[in-house]
Amino acid sequence: MTWLWYIIGVAILVIPFAAMVLLPIQRSKPVLTVYFLLFVVFMYGPMVAMAVLSLQGTTGSMTLPAKELFSFHWYSELNSSMSVMVAVREGIGKSLWLSLIVAVITAVLSLTLGMAFRRQFRGSGALFYAILLSLMTPGLLLSLGLSFLLYYVGIQKGEGTIGYLPIIGVQTVWALPFGFLVMMSIFNRYDARAEEAARDLGASNVTTFREVTLPLIWTGVFGAGLFGFTLALNEFERTFLVSGTINTLPLQLYIITTASVLRPYVYSLGVVTILLSFLLIALFLVVSGLTGRKKTRAVEEDGSGVDAPSMTPAAASGD
Amino acid sequence: MSSDDAKHAALEEAKREVEEAESLTGGSAVAVHATTGPRRTPLVTLAWVAPGTIWLLLFLIAPLVMIVLVSVWQKTPVGFEPFAFTTEGYTKLFQTPVYLDTLKDTIIRALVVTGLCILIGYPIAYFLARGVKSIRYQIALFVFVLAPFWVAYVVRIVAWLPVLGRQGVINYFLVEVIGVRAEPIDALLYSNFAIILALVQLYVLFMVTPIFFQLATLDNSAIEAARDLGATPAKVFREVILPLSLPGVLIGCIFVFVLVMGEFATVRLIGGGTIQSVGTLVYDYYKLPDLPTAAAGATILVAVMTIGVAILLRFSKIREVV
Repeated sequence: MTWLWYIIGVAILVIPFAAMVLLPIQRSKPVLTVYFLLFVVFMYGPMVAMAVLSLQGTTGSMTLPAKELFSFHWYSELNSSMSVMVAVREGIGKSLWLSLIVAVITAVLSLTLGMAFRRQFRGSGALFYAILLSLMTPGLLLSLGLSFLLYYVGIQKGEGTIGYLPIIGVQTVWALPFGFLVMMSIFNRYDARAEEAARDLGASNVTTFREVTLPLIWTGVFGAGLFGFTLALNEFERTFLVSGTINTLPLQLYIITTASVLRPYVYSLGVVTILLSFLLIALFLVVSGLTGRKKTRAVEEDGSGVDAPSMTPAAASGD
Repeated sequence: MSSDDAKHAALEEAKREVEEAESLTGGSAVAVHATTGPRRTPLVTLAWVAPGTIWLLLFLIAPLVMIVLVSVWQKTPVGFEPFAFTTEGYTKLFQTPVYLDTLKDTIIRALVVTGLCILIGYPIAYFLARGVKSIRYQIALFVFVLAPFWVAYVVRIVAWLPVLGRQGVINYFLVEVIGVRAEPIDALLYSNFAIILALVQLYVLFMVTPIFFQLATLDNSAIEAARDLGATPAKVFREVILPLSLPGVLIGCIFVFVLVMGEFATVRLIGGGTIQSVGTLVYDYYKLPDLPTAAAGATILVAVMTIGVAILLRFSKIREVV
């Protein structure tokens, strides 16, 4: 029987690929549409399974079949006085504060870096690669290295106010490339003539920046900050070895999953964080939608720095 | 001129356009437009550059340098002795066969996951970029597909537990619903299969996104030119679409390979402690605590990643990726 499963698995992977290579897009589209739906199930299926199991009643277990659907028992459990739950609530509180700080710093640094990269400067290539490197460095290595650094300079992890600094540091490093790319995409479509006009009329650098530049790009800055908030809220591996006793929400979740007997509240906690993340994405889309309407109707949420004109409807529907 | 000649000429033309587009979009994945700003004094430039640079030096570059340094420093009961050089960490690693075996497993796992991500991610990106005509739907579907990226990574791993477990969704389906198996498959959770499945789901978006942007910004006239003059769909794909999307594939490969090499939490949570990666080994040494050995393990990991990325760049024949 096993070989049959292998064949089915390989077929699911190979058929769409072959259709894509061999057929024109009009003919391969039905196959690819079905494949896309399968992909969506693959991406969202586990989360849906988790959501369903989080809605079980008191006798609910970690596995199927789901018992006593639908009840909010395991959600109200999150509010209970169990020590695990107290720790979780503390974790949520800390996470929200930390993420807010990271969001502000990410927004400021993305803004300054975005402004810096509007013109070539010495070392701009190296700095650009450093920003890319922050995207590519595996989280474990970053937190390992930073924990060495903390030991070397003699900072106790997680103690006092300074204990929060390394967490904010690594989480910002993780969020910065995304915020930076948002700013790059803003500046790619940015019209510098207003600035020139202001300067020609005798405005100083500071005045020009405050009165002309900032009002034009603030949605980008806000978007960068939102990126920072969402990514920091969900960050785990980078924070793992530098947090000491400060347990953020993902760390708390990891501790629960590895240490204690698993109960369905793990799932309800997971669902709560998912909903929170999706809410933030929606907020981001609304904000970038506002910018889009104000200026061009170009793509905003890609945040990749791809030239907007090439994504106009004409180019996309030319096939 | 025979029709074959015409076809040939058209293909040449299309190829030339590809090359042209390539030279234009060489940096398109992350285009740096450095000429939109007003002239400014060096002091102003410094003011804009300094904050980000200092932050990255402190929290990115310094930690990475520390890993390499600590790997050649002496161990103390709780940490390390700065500037007391020794190669003990490395000898300790290589004396145990576990490290090399794990390194081999980790590399193979990273390669398999990268390959699967191309195989799965490319058709998805292709469908989104070329199959969906309305720009509105295109963006909506892309955001929909991308959304799980913002969900906490631990939560996404945890979500696999009810799917893969002995009484998980897959086994439940196989045994209870369609009844093709009498007994549930034990090996689903805590196996290499489960880890690879979860890793592909976690990292495939790093592959879909760059390929999608390459394909979405692809110039249609090259494709139309080739097709109008009789090139088969396979030939259009091989000679026009594929070469134009290669930079995206390459960026995706680098991301997936490097991130999976450094993977720790997925292997720990889904592997259930029985399966190791270099990341989990490094963590175990860190916990002992034997910081120099952990650092040595991490340094070798960085070296392998760098070699992997260099090979990818070398064999892709792409001059400038970013």
